[in-house]
Amino acid sequence: MGARGTNYVVKRTLFGLMTVLVAVTLNFVLFRAAPGDPASALRCRACTPEFKEEQRKEFGLDKSMVEQYGIYMKELLQGNLGSSFTTRRPVWDELGPALANTLPMIALGTAFSIVFGILSGVVAAWRRGTWADWGNVSVSLFFYSLPTQWLGLMLVIVFAGTLPVSGISDPFLEFTDPSTWEVFVDRMKHMILPALTLGLVLYGDYALVTRSSLLNTLGEDYILTARAKGLGSWTIVRRHALRNALLPISTLIAISLGYLVGGSILVEAVFSYPGIGLEVYDAIFERDYPVLQGAFLILTLSVVLANYAADLLYLKLDPRIAE
Amino acid sequence: MTVLSVENLHVWFALAEGGELHAVRGVSFDLSSGDRFGLVGESGCGKTTAILALMGLLPPTASVAGRVVLDGEDILARGEESVSGHRWRDLAMIFQGAMNAFNPVKRIGDQIAEPLALHGLAEGGEARRQVGELLELVGISASRADRFPHEFSGGMRQRAAIAMALACKPKVLLADEPTTALDVMVQAQILELLVGLAHDLGLALVLVTHDLPVVAQTCERAGVMYSGRIVEAGPTEALYHDPRHPYTRLLFAATPDLYGEGAVVSIAGTPPRLDREPPGCSFAPRCDRVFEPCASVVPRPLAVGAEHEAECHLNDPALRAAS
Amino acid sequence: MTLPAPAETAPVTGAAGLGSRVWSLVRSKPAATAGVIVIALFVLVAVTAPYLAPYGPREKVGEPFAPPSGAHPFGLDDGGVDMLTLMMYGARVSLLVGFAAAAVAMLIGGTIGLVSGYFGGKLDTGLTAVTNYMIAIPDVPLILVVAALFGRSLTNIIIIIGAIYWTYTARIIRAETKSLRERTYVKRTRSLGAGNTRIIVRHVLPQVGPLLIAQTVLFVAYAIFAETYVTFLGLGDPSLISWGKLIENAFEANAISAGAWWAIVPPGFAVAFVVLACTMVGRSLEDALNPRLRVGHLSVHRFRIRRPPEQEPQ
Repeated sequence: MGARGTNYVVKRTLFGLMTVLVAVTLNFVLFRAAPGDPASALRCRACTPEFKEEQRKEFGLDKSMVEQYGIYMKELLQGNLGSSFTTRRPVWDELGPALANTLPMIALGTAFSIVFGILSGVVAAWRRGTWADWGNVSVSLFFYSLPTQWLGLMLVIVFAGTLPVSGISDPFLEFTDPSTWEVFVDRMKHMILPALTLGLVLYGDYALVTRSSLLNTLGEDYILTARAKGLGSWTIVRRHALRNALLPISTLIAISLGYLVGGSILVEAVFSYPGIGLEVYDAIFERDYPVLQGAFLILTLSVVLANYAADLLYLKLDPRIAE
Repeated sequence: MTVLSVENLHVWFALAEGGELHAVRGVSFDLSSGDRFGLVGESGCGKTTAILALMGLLPPTASVAGRVVLDGEDILARGEESVSGHRWRDLAMIFQGAMNAFNPVKRIGDQIAEPLALHGLAEGGEARRQVGELLELVGISASRADRFPHEFSGGMRQRAAIAMALACKPKVLLADEPTTALDVMVQAQILELLVGLAHDLGLALVLVTHDLPVVAQTCERAGVMYSGRIVEAGPTEALYHDPRHPYTRLLFAATPDLYGEGAVVSIAGTPPRLDREPPGCSFAPRCDRVFEPCASVVPRPLAVGAEHEAECHLNDPALRAAS
Repeated sequence: MTLPAPAETAPVTGAAGLGSRVWSLVRSKPAATAGVIVIALFVLVAVTAPYLAPYGPREKVGEPFAPPSGAHPFGLDDGGVDMLTLMMYGARVSLLVGFAAAAVAMLIGGTIGLVSGYFGGKLDTGLTAVTNYMIAIPDVPLILVVAALFGRSLTNIIIIIGAIYWTYTARIIRAETKSLRERTYVKRTRSLGAGNTRIIVRHVLPQVGPLLIAQTVLFVAYAIFAETYVTFLGLGDPSLISWGKLIENAFEANAISAGAWWAIVPPGFAVAFVVLACTMVGRSLEDALNPRLRVGHLSVHRFRIRRPPEQEPQ
């Protein structure tokens, strides 16, 4: 990896770190700058006096904002996100398991959108100008135009009875002493609909990017050379065009995570899926600000991390950047 | 003995707004093994389209007529079906700007080996060996086979493109402006290489260019194309010293002399439209020696010397006497 | 003789020129024209809702979740109110939020992009950094958090949505402004002594304008989405009827268990149609302004063989 490659990595790392700092600071400022300072435990109406006293000591809630910021950062670095107003448990204890539920669901959703998207995009580019092209683009645009929560509700209507439409597991399953496989299948069945909702709304992006990227690639001179060499059309697409055309997909995955975190809040609300999105939903309803603040931070940091990973991945996929 | 015979080649392009562009209008020439034939003309005269047609590398908006006879077989008879089998094995091509002739994310060696595997000539270790030989043949160290295209300089990339073109030991090499994007020193090397290969391997070379000194240096015979037709063809010497078509004369006169002698002449007027058939000679509007029959009678090829033909009424003693 | 490259000639200036240019771009692409017509229809319905709607928006006219019938083509909601009426009134708020928030995003993003691209230097670096950091933060969670903290009035929602989406516009406008700045006619005008404001208003703005409008139309779509998300999570103004509120209402009232699909389906389709229309208009405009013509070397179709024209006698 040459000098340009190292330079690139350093630049992206610095940017990532700065963004983390901005996100953390924004998180603090937002929650404390709100009118009436509702995020401060001292204003929490449902909290017991003992709880308020604990929080006051732990986070210096009676000190100046600058000092509070300092304490907030210090606690954050130790992994302390505060305590929930509703359950009084540490925020991380609530959100950690929830996050563990959301991640596989989001991964499945991304897998759906990539598969649908690439298939749709390749067909559209391959049959450019025909009904297949027009039809694919229209259908993917249509799904893209639906509000996520509404699509989720539609899927509930269609699949209620065939697939589970709420929760993460069958509450009665444990009584039948299930094997690991049966537990896995049960979990997957509960994940499919929320993941499918996300996948359907998002696949349009992948389809359009695949299509235009493939069309662009097919106009390159090395494609003409490949044709001149005697390679068959499908071989050319598979061996030469697809890899280059799919390069933008990797960055799209990271960009999509930004949408996915928002979308997961909506689908988990619709499907009562106990992930971090549902925690946000409940926290908003219960005015449980520490949980909300913690969740927002986790979601933002995930997106920053994913984008950073995508930048590094792109470096590996396109050797031109490294030189 | 004749290796390739092009007879009355026509190419039309369907236009988006209706109508057609008649880009190649009855081009004919013969090639024997070891011949070096230049095809010269301004941009847009149809020379690139003509050689692309020889390999059937035309877009779907094109239609083709005429015969391209290779070893007694008209390879264009059934269109894509009949021509695709001959690609690279009998006819190979190097393109303008080899910069993009190579897929940027694949190694040079792999791309040169590709036609070997495709046409069943060599695989694996044997292919690697042949790739090494080919690279050495064009003056590149075999160890560079594992590099990526962007690691090569422009001249080296063009050499590698030549190596790739020779992989299946074709009978005919079509070179489309092979030196246009290269600096003068490198140009000379590439041209020398091509001449050498034609001589050593018995390769028939068609060199398409707008750059007359290149033709003078490399080709013993040349055809001058204007508006889709070869208006004059003959030994390069004869074209230089005894041009029999006003366009040829003006074209050579328009090239500045190295010593700055002689006035630089530019050809007045604009190139003709290819979507209409001209009533008489297509060069008449710009010709400095136009006379009576030119505007209404289409000139036919007339012999004006040994293996030297021109399409100009000035060579017809009968017409000249009449005016 | 070569023609001067189109980019170098001074283009149409002034607001009238901008308007007519956008309009002719729209007319030239059928997708864009269709989109504009659809949007116009929805706006018309929204504006005339109080006169056009068959019933009142809070008027109970039957049993909760009554199915569609002749008198009520979209059935009734959980309060026995006519769904068609609700849809028409809902259009008012949804479209208002859409257009207003997009306008806010356009104003902020356009200004920042213009200033950043035109003046360059430290100002540019600073603004670009801010833009990049803002883009890195996921939009929907941010909107929800700010809405949860800062109150749920309509104005707040509009401002919040607009204030989150300006970043994308800023980036694009900045790039366009930067390249414009280097064009000959701008340099010429500057050397004549014209002030920056004059140049920006009379030369840069009309060129950047169509792109800005294309972006804004796309953001109407995002804003309408954002409004539905905000109301779905209970953060909207509870007294207002919007398409998002109708979806939320149906969800809270367990319309699905009651089998009342008519309470859920129409608002979703309405959003989809408006969003589709905006996307078509915005994307067509963008395409028209940045044409990318590329010939593909592969196709399922092949070139054709013809009989040669009559050979001239040799």
